[in-house]
Amino acid sequence: MSRELDGSGSIASESGSVTGDSAGATDSPSGDDADNPRPATYYHLARAVLYREFLIFVRYPANAVGGIVVALFFFGVLFYGGQLLAGQALADSLEGIITGYFLWTLSVGAYSSVSNDIGSEVQWGTLERHITTPFGFAPVALLKGVAKVVRTFLTSAIVLVFMLLLTGTRLSLDPITVVSIAGLAIVSVLGLGFAAGGITVLYKRIGNWLNLLQFGFIVLISAPVFELPWTRVLPLAHGSALLQRAMVDGVRLWEFGLAELALLVGVAVGYLFGGYLVFHYATRRARRLGVLGDY
Amino acid sequence: MRGSERVFTAPSESSRSPAGTRSPALAIEGVSKRFGSGDDTVLAVDDVSLTIERGSIVGLLGPNGAGKTTLIKCALGIVLPDDGSVRVFGTDVSGRGRRAAYADVDAMLEGARNDYWRLTVRENLRYFSTISGVDPDSVADRHDRLLARLDLTDKANTAVRDLSRGMKGKVSLASVLAGGAELVFLDEPTLGLDVEGSRTLRRELRRLAVEEGLTVVVSSHDMTTIEAVCDRVVMMAGGKIVADDTVATLLSAADRDAVRVTSADINERLLSTLDQRFDLRAVETNGPRTTVEVGVVGDRLYELMDTLREAAVTVEDVRTVKPNLEDVFMSVTGVETDVIGGPDGTTSGNDSILTPVGDSGGRPS
Repeated sequence: MSRELDGSGSIASESGSVTGDSAGATDSPSGDDADNPRPATYYHLARAVLYREFLIFVRYPANAVGGIVVALFFFGVLFYGGQLLAGQALADSLEGIITGYFLWTLSVGAYSSVSNDIGSEVQWGTLERHITTPFGFAPVALLKGVAKVVRTFLTSAIVLVFMLLLTGTRLSLDPITVVSIAGLAIVSVLGLGFAAGGITVLYKRIGNWLNLLQFGFIVLISAPVFELPWTRVLPLAHGSALLQRAMVDGVRLWEFGLAELALLVGVAVGYLFGGYLVFHYATRRARRLGVLGDY
Repeated sequence: MRGSERVFTAPSESSRSPAGTRSPALAIEGVSKRFGSGDDTVLAVDDVSLTIERGSIVGLLGPNGAGKTTLIKCALGIVLPDDGSVRVFGTDVSGRGRRAAYADVDAMLEGARNDYWRLTVRENLRYFSTISGVDPDSVADRHDRLLARLDLTDKANTAVRDLSRGMKGKVSLASVLAGGAELVFLDEPTLGLDVEGSRTLRRELRRLAVEEGLTVVVSSHDMTTIEAVCDRVVMMAGGKIVADDTVATLLSAADRDAVRVTSADINERLLSTLDQRFDLRAVETNGPRTTVEVGVVGDRLYELMDTLREAAVTVEDVRTVKPNLEDVFMSVTGVETDVIGGPDGTTSGNDSILTPVGDSGGRPS
């Protein structure tokens, strides 16, 4: 800062932690570097955003635990209800259902946390502070999204373990393969979350309606990519197909074709970029209309 | 990666013009902003130009709808003006360089919590100094001193949600100052605070601003806050700047000097005489005594005293009444002060409790 902490007195003079007189604008405090604020780097930014997410997660676990319980409840209804109605047919496709449900909980977690987070920041008056940051909003928003995804992976992993124990099912769980494919699959959802967040900034009351989109993820996860190859470019569809092969058939990451992985990356980057563009233009329009941060 | 990727130029670099001269902290040129369309169009800010030099503490005063908050949001780039430009330390905030400008600016906006209530006080300071572009470890001592100054040291590790409303206001201020921003906008900083909370915040705000050499723009309904904290006052009404001067100059030009005379000898006839010859502003009867407030400047004071002597009035008490910002604002804008009364219903002003006479500029009783 051009106005650096100068010991000058300032707030330090009464606490006694700084030497020098109050007029000495260039005096240095003794024994610390308070006069030399260092610029924060992306490392500091990432650390701050992830640490905040971690603190909220461990300090207020009710939300996370509630999400896990609800996810397991719906799976229980699906599993036991399906057994009653479909019997052996369900058992034959149980591995695929668990994999799909795992991806769905991941998607819902990433999407709703990003879009809801933006809505909350608008309400709290903290969104403006993230927009008027020297880092620019894009890196901050992306890091916040990454933090949400990391948190969602933790909760969805717990749901997955419970599902496997409940059904006695075995899946191939190569961490590198599962995290890579599932991670890239939900990056596209992250893009949708940003788009929804942007629309929420513009139209405040639409946020709850946009949450209904998460039920559409079921359709995307179960999209018939073999019969309708074009559906692979939809969010989640191609990633879901690859995740099924990885977790059900045991295919490792490096055993997939390059084109398949390239498409996975392309879809992820495309939707993330698209979602960010929507967010960018929505916030710009909100600035033009003067509604950014109004609630 | 640590330390290898600076995301913005050092403010000391960004805040200088190419010629090496120091730019003003804020330069607003011909800014206008309309909201709505057609018949519903509202001209919130109307061709406003304003320059604020570094280190000054400027109050933005005006009634609801005067355009204060919109002007601040334009200055921050949160609202894009329809016309005009805003430069912060020489950088256009609507242009590509605005990220550099943001390193030097922070704001506490009206009605906003402004920080995370689920984090502790210290965690908020660390988080927002990072977001402001400053490594929190390098300003840890500053944070300690800031907390000490605002009497928050004991609450440093308390979640903000568990603090009183007044303390939350102070945390909000601390988090805005945590990153060492050089230009700070405070929109209604005393909103919702009780009398004691407002007083503490005013005192510390002034002290911090002066000692730290900050440039502060304070927008408020509350004229006590503006008068106590600011060197210069910009008054807005109808989206325009209607007065802009130092507090002292505005007060001296207010032409609201008056004397208040108390006597048991003031009768109806004398009141009639005073009303005809002088600017009789208020009358209050309390038992046998009557107090009148008469606007007089210079030699008129002697004329008033002569009139009282001729009427055989024994003066029991004479007091001068100095104008305050409330009076200045009324005379400049014609807006009654109860219109701009703070959210808590308070207004500043002198201690007049007299009944205003007619429409002679009397203040609310």
